[in-house]
Order: sequence, then C-alpha cells, then structure tokens
Amino acid sequence: MTVMEAQQHPDVAAGLLTGEAYRLTVRDWLRNELPASYRSDSAAFSPPTLEQSIAWEAAMHRAGLSGMTWPTSYGGHGRTLREHLIVNQEIGSLAMPDSVNSIGKELAGPIILAIGTEEQKKRFLPAILQMRNIWCQGFSEPEAGSDLAGLRTRAVRHGDIWRINGQKIWTSGAARSQRCLLLARTGPVEDRHRGLALFAVPLDAPGVRVRTIKSIDGKESFCEVFFDEVEVAQSDALGAPDEGWAAAIRVLEIERATNRMYRAWRFQNELRHLISACKTDAVLAGLLADSHYAVRLAETVVDIEVLKAHVETAVDVLVDGGSIGARGSLAKLHWSEAHQRFAILAMELLSKAPLPLAPSVKVALRRFEGIYLASRAETIYAGTTEIQLGIIADRILALSKGK
Amino acid sequence: MAMTEDGLSPADFAATAARAIAACAGLTARQQAERLGGDGLLGVTAGEEVGGLDLPAAFAVPVAAASAGLLGFPLLETLLLGRLLQAPLPDVSRAIVSGAACATIAWTNAASAKPEGDRVVLSGCAGRAPCAADVDWLLVRVGDDAAALVPVTASGVTLEPTGLDLAMPEHTVRLDHVSIAERNLLPAGTWPLLQSDALVLRAAAIMGSAEACLAMAQEHASTRRQFGHALAYNQAIRHALARHKLGLESIRHAITRSLFGEASALERNAAFLAAASYGVAISQGALQIHGGMGFTWDVPIHRHLRRILALQAQGDASGLLRALGHRYVAEIEPASEAAA
Repeated sequence: MTVMEAQQHPDVAAGLLTGEAYRLTVRDWLRNELPASYRSDSAAFSPPTLEQSIAWEAAMHRAGLSGMTWPTSYGGHGRTLREHLIVNQEIGSLAMPDSVNSIGKELAGPIILAIGTEEQKKRFLPAILQMRNIWCQGFSEPEAGSDLAGLRTRAVRHGDIWRINGQKIWTSGAARSQRCLLLARTGPVEDRHRGLALFAVPLDAPGVRVRTIKSIDGKESFCEVFFDEVEVAQSDALGAPDEGWAAAIRVLEIERATNRMYRAWRFQNELRHLISACKTDAVLAGLLADSHYAVRLAETVVDIEVLKAHVETAVDVLVDGGSIGARGSLAKLHWSEAHQRFAILAMELLSKAPLPLAPSVKVALRRFEGIYLASRAETIYAGTTEIQLGIIADRILALSKGK
Repeated sequence: MAMTEDGLSPADFAATAARAIAACAGLTARQQAERLGGDGLLGVTAGEEVGGLDLPAAFAVPVAAASAGLLGFPLLETLLLGRLLQAPLPDVSRAIVSGAACATIAWTNAASAKPEGDRVVLSGCAGRAPCAADVDWLLVRVGDDAAALVPVTASGVTLEPTGLDLAMPEHTVRLDHVSIAERNLLPAGTWPLLQSDALVLRAAAIMGSAEACLAMAQEHASTRRQFGHALAYNQAIRHALARHKLGLESIRHAITRSLFGEASALERNAAFLAAASYGVAISQGALQIHGGMGFTWDVPIHRHLRRILALQAQGDASGLLRALGHRYVAEIEPASEAAA
C-alpha cells in the first residue's frame, strides 16, 4: 500500500480501540506506512518533497492520526487529549519528518476553534487537516521579535475590507503556505497590547510578497513577508480586535505546553539511534563503555524522563479541567536546553569515529549534523530562553518588578 | 494520583505531616518517634498487622518531603523499615511503627556474615547511617544484596559521627564480630528492594529542602534592597530564581511520574537523580542569592544544603548515574548495517 492509498484503520475510525490496543494499532499503522526514505535514521533517507509531505500528512489524517482532539464536524476525530498523547508518543518513537503544516494544525487551527465564526471553522479547519491549506505564522517583525506589543504592521478597516501594510520576518514556511495567521495593529503603536487583531490572510492576495532567508542549516524555510496595501475581507478577520488577541494568548499558553508533544519521545529515538550507530564502530563502542560518556548519556536519559514528566503532567492538568497558564514555559525551557546539550554530545561522540566511516555512523552523522544545527534555533523560537525565564519570574514566581 | 477508598489523598498528609514535624521542635529523637508514631506518620506504608496504614508509596512522599522541617529523626529510614520488617520481624516492625523503638539504615558499604551455631556473626564497616547514636536498631547491607538488623547496643558495634548533616548526623558503623540472631539476617534480594523504595522518598526529602531554599531565596530577593531596588528587580536574580523554579518543578513532576502504577525502575532512578542534581543547584543558588548572609550559620540554607548533600551521597547519585548510563547503553542493539 502506498502512502497515498493508506486508509483509515476501520477500528480506529469507529473509535473502538482504547488504551494499549489503540497504541498498538497506531504503532502498527505508522511502522507499516511510513516509507523508509522518510526516516532520517535510514540509509535510504531522502527528505520528502513538499508534495510527498502533503500526501503523507493527509494519509495520517485519514488514518485518524492528526486533528485528534478537534470535533468531527470540522474534520477532526473527536478523541481525548490522552489519546493525542498516545499518538504523539508513537510518532516520536520514529525518525519521522516534522509536519510542514504544524502552524496550521497546532496554532492557527486551535485559535480558529477558540475564536473563529462557524463559517470560518467550516472553511478553514478541514482544509488544514486534509493538507489543502498550509499555514504560516506572521507575528514577528524586524522591530518586534520577542516584544510583540511593539509590532507595527497596520490593519485599517474600510467597510468590509481591511487594508494591511507592513512587514513580517522569521515567518517559517511562508513560501509554501496558502494562508498566514497575521497579527496586525488596528491603532497606534503606543497602544502596545491594545488594538491587536488576527487575520487569516490569503498569501496569493495582491500586494503580498514573500522572500526566503537562508538559515544556518542551509534551508530556506524562514521568510520575510511584505504586505503592501493588501486587502483582506472582514470574513477573514479572526475575532474582534483585542478580544481575538486575548483569546489567542490563552490558546498560545496551552500550545506552548502541548504542541509537538512528541518531542520527548523523538528525543529518546535520537538518543537510541546515536547509541545503536556508535555500537557498530569499535572505537565509538569503546567510548560508550567509558564512564565519562556513560554519565553524560545517563544525564540525557534523566533529561528525557523529566521532559516526559512535564508533558504528562500538562496533559493531566488539562484533562482534569485545569489551566496551564505560564507553566508551558517550564517545559519549553527544559526541552530546548536539554536538547542542545544532547546535540553537542552527539556531535562530540560522532566526531571521534575513525575513517572510513562505518555505514551506520555515516547515517547518524548526517542526521545529527542537522539536529545540531537546528537545535541552535530551539532556544530562540517560540520565545527565547531569556523570554521564558522572564515569564517564569513574572508569572509563576510573581517576582515584583517595582522599586 | 492515588486515593484511598475513603477519599484520602496524599495531599491530605502533607499538612498533617508538616504540623506533626513542627511540633517535634525541641524534642529528643526518642520523643519525636513517640509523637510521630502517635500521629500515625511512621507506618504510612506499613501493613495494618503491624499498626500501619497500608497506603501506597504516594502517601509517604509528602511525609518525606515534610522532613525538610529539619527533623532530627531518621524519618525516611523509619518509613522504609516499618514496611520492610513487617513480614520477617513483625515485633520489631510494630515497635518502629508505633514509635516505641527507633531504627536507622547504614546506606553505604557492606558487612560480611558468617554463621555460628544458631547465630550469625557480622564483621566490617558500613557508612552513612543517619542518627545512629539515637536508635535501637540498625540495618546494614550484607554482601551483595542481603541485609541484617543489628541492635546498636550489641557488643562489637562502634559508631563514629561523620558527614555534613547537622540535624541528622550520619555515622560510620564498625562491626567487630557482632553476633546477631539468625532471624535478623534478611534474605538475598532485600537490599535492592530497599534501595528501590528509598529512591522516591529520598527524592521527596530533597524536594522538601529545595522548596524551602527557593522560598527563602525568593523572600530575600523580594525584601533585600540594594542600589535603591529590591534584589528581584535585577534580571540576573530573576533569571536565577526562574531556573531554580524549573528545577523544583522538574523534581516534583518526576516524582509524580515515578508513582504511576506502571512506573519502572527507570522512572524511580530519574526522580532521584533529577532531585539530586537540581536539589544541590537550588540550595547552592539560594545561598548565593543571599550573598554574605547565605554564608552565615544563622541563615538555615546551609542546613538544607547539608541535608541534600547527605541524601545525595546516601543514594550514591554519581554511582547510580554511571550505572544507569552503562545499563542503558547495554540494552540497545547495534544498528543493523543492512538498515544502513
């Protein structure tokens, strides 16, 4: 069966499986259907093209493995957050490519679910899950990176039309996206957090220009997006100004704790891959037996278990109807720094491999060079380390800033 | 989280334990045992047949965490021994659970045992036994994985104070041909079981002390003024406190995860190792934030730091970490060259 032909497992579709049976079904489906060439721990690895990624993610959706918790009326599967966790654990356990539409599935979609009109939910949400629409996030600007309250892109209303002018930057995936979740200002810059509004801007609208930025890993995912007198229909405004942004902030807090929930299990997959590859080479296997590296690998294991504990606690809190608040910053801070430490360890170990490289070491080196470079962004995106520390100090410890 | 049929949760024990431990201030170890035993805290996990409450381990966690009140009593060891001895030595277990007898454990090194008639003779040296000078019974490791319960007053037992902990001084125990009853020699497998149960309680005790240190550091940073501002006005201080908060919550979540029904040795090891690592960082960081005040005898941060270092050493955190790394590596198969 090809990826395109992969169909939803009938038992999963009928919602008949729970707990471990459900996990095993998900595991089997992923292992059977994920092409070897998409697995970065395989010698056959060849990064999927955009079209292949779209087909694969659409197949995952048909199999019931994305849009897990979204209502069925909007293309979701109406499952619980615990089942979402199970699917993420299984996704993480495979060296699978990241979604090309994570902004749509994990940011725009939940925001639209929270504040969108019924018409918007029906128009946007199934298209996201079916991979007909890829979304990007237009929040950061040249003068407003972490400090979103300082953003300058303006949206001015003229009847049923909003006219948008400004510039966004670090907009990952804009060149491949159909829609941009745009944050713009309806009043003066001095209003700071007031007057911010969200829009679902079609990127093929006249006046939108996208320019890619090459990043340190050689990829051109980052983009600058320019808006010059871009007209956006009122039907593409998400929530009212102020109201929309406040709701979005609440969604963002949950997302910080729950998005890419598979990270801890992918981290574990990476650690296991590193060790299994090193074991095929006598020199590297000798290093693994060295107590110095045993301790550093064990520290990574503890880091991973702590990350799992943060994620599972967040799920428990949300399932019990509690609020995550700023606590997503704890998991993000821990994960990003722990993963950077691990990437450094992986590069250090693999750099000691004798020549010629053993085939498995070559595969690992290709994967971990990419992981190392990508990890340098992990303490920057989704709120830098410094921003996360500030959030913890301000909102969790409630330390006074005053004199 | 576990809950009894009566709807009792581990959190209910936290306030009770904190009150009982606060009431122990100024009492001798033996008086503390009687009071804590009377409050039912010493037999939280021990069976009902020895006077315990027979509750899951999750209920002992808040009790262990409350020992951050710097109790001068071997609370963790008492909790563990009440349960461990309930089958082989029920009379001793009952006395420990009620507070009528006191007991501790020497956590490092091992003695050797030699049968002699219907007795067993122990020789050797064991280390890191908290409050050994104030107890009736002492459990020592024997060989690789057995253990023996020794009356502290037995002929041939000598104690030497050691270690940093002030409230709960550790002792090195010398055993010079100490004769004990055969039934006091517990079978092979006892020691690893005890160590496994100890991991989470030790993590909880460290968490209690780390939480106390962070609270003191936060209070100090919010009230101490320098250069016209509270210390917490400075980003360096705010960020340091934020990192310590991350460490504290990491310990808390790792402990919670280690108590789930399906939790394995890996989760218990991770809880203790996370506590050992973050606990030291939090207490040392709290000392630093206090500046010169932190180095004084009167500010109690050093007492918690001493307690955390003792707990870290009793659990041999560095050895456990190394062993975890070796074990983890050993369990992974080499990559298949065919797959590569």
